[in-house]
Amino acid sequence: MRNNIGKYAATIGWPVLVTTLILLAWEISVRMLGIRSIILPPPSAVLETMAHRHDLLLTHLWPSLYLTVLGFLLSVIGGIFVAVLITYSAIVRKGFYPVIVVSQVIPKISIAPLFIVWFGTGTMPSLLLAFLVAFFPMTINAAMGFESIDEDIHRMARTFMGSRWQIFWKIRMPNAMPYIFGGMKISITLAIIGVIVSEFVASQEGIGYLIKLAGGLLDTPPLWDHRGRGKLGGLLAATTRGRRGRRRMMRCS
Amino acid sequence: MRSAVASSAPARALGRARDDGAAIVSIAALKKTFGDLEAIRHLSFDVGDGEFLSVLGPSGCGKSTLLMMVAGLIDPTAGEIRIQGAKVTGPRREIGVVFQSPVLLPWRTVLQNVLFPIELLKLPRPHYRRRAMELLRMAKIDEFAGVLPRQLSGGMRQRVAICRALVHDPNILLMDEPFSALDAITRDEMAVELQRIWQVNRKTVIFVTHSIREAAFLSDRVVVMGRRPATIIDELAIELPRPRPIAVTEDETFNRLVRHLRKAIEASHAE
Repeated sequence: MRNNIGKYAATIGWPVLVTTLILLAWEISVRMLGIRSIILPPPSAVLETMAHRHDLLLTHLWPSLYLTVLGFLLSVIGGIFVAVLITYSAIVRKGFYPVIVVSQVIPKISIAPLFIVWFGTGTMPSLLLAFLVAFFPMTINAAMGFESIDEDIHRMARTFMGSRWQIFWKIRMPNAMPYIFGGMKISITLAIIGVIVSEFVASQEGIGYLIKLAGGLLDTPPLWDHRGRGKLGGLLAATTRGRRGRRRMMRCS
Repeated sequence: MRSAVASSAPARALGRARDDGAAIVSIAALKKTFGDLEAIRHLSFDVGDGEFLSVLGPSGCGKSTLLMMVAGLIDPTAGEIRIQGAKVTGPRREIGVVFQSPVLLPWRTVLQNVLFPIELLKLPRPHYRRRAMELLRMAKIDEFAGVLPRQLSGGMRQRVAICRALVHDPNILLMDEPFSALDAITRDEMAVELQRIWQVNRKTVIFVTHSIREAAFLSDRVVVMGRRPATIIDELAIELPRPRPIAVTEDETFNRLVRHLRKAIEASHAE
């Protein structure tokens, strides 16, 4: 028990320590080198802005966060659904699957302006873009998980008269879980990017909007702050999904 | 004791069941082709109730194909397989299969793996849970019931697979080279274990192997298959008393049986 607590403290402690050291090094080097705040504000200035203008920041955080989570959830449901179709329908597997893969060559970010033409500057383009970028890794991973069943396991289940339904729920689904979680970790980070980029292009609220606004005003500290928050959202989202999430988080941030 | 080496019977009589058991599995004029490839040409033999029959042959001679057809997983091109008089058209409840690899589900514990067929067959769980524990005890792995397969050795995993094949109390046990992935020492151990389990449970067993010694040690009767396209080239009754200790493999009688089987296989190669 005690050992567990120790381990838990270590998993939290190390990243906290490293983050603190990085922030400290940043603060010190900005001050020592006399870098102007407009080029690179010290973390203290960012924190100050955070405290000072938290009202504004929070109002813009919610819509972004909300759209990110919604887009992510839609991509998980949609991805798993399409993966099931890929697994069970020869038409989808042979006809649509290659098209889905090839379509990934198009940078989805470039579709953002098109969405704005179609749906205006509301929440719809952001949601759609978040869904679109997050959907692909979800689909690919889930499909891989459903299909990477050992032929012998399939045969074994059939000798015990397992139905297709049973084979899906008792073999394919549990087998796919690690793949699905892997896909979720990639998807959540992409969903954040999707939302922020869409807000860059056109919107009246959200973190992306605020970053663009602050950038236009050459108001660097809040700009950094939003990056920090975007990252913070990603960190939170990744951490909630357990140990593997934490490992990924460290790779990302 | 009668001479253990039965004289090679005339071709027509090959594969008939022993007199003391009624045939539970009968295979008649079986043929299987995959496209142009002729895997099995003409196969006919019976398996008696409670008999331990080995199908011995070189790798790639169609032994596994034969077993998969008995299991109802693939259809024969011609001929038929009957189990207790009924023609095999698909997987059947009275069959349990042990594969070359244990094929355990890695996310399930040993006990959950053994109970997997019970879930698929929708049988009452509490009753079979008790049976599963008994089987695990018999296979001497009951203390690992709550453990995940990856924590077990290869031999123990295969024991779990044997328990799984027996859990729904099938009449017929099909074994497809179940010990071929194990090291030689574990193999001998497993053969002795299997014999013990079989003596307690008395299932009809069709045991496919390419090991002459294994076939001779375990079986009541050995059917020898030649190279592709497979037919039966010889058949031998093994009338050694049971339980057979592993030391029996050093006896002259045993080695005479092994020599006989080896000659039969070599003769088929020479053709």
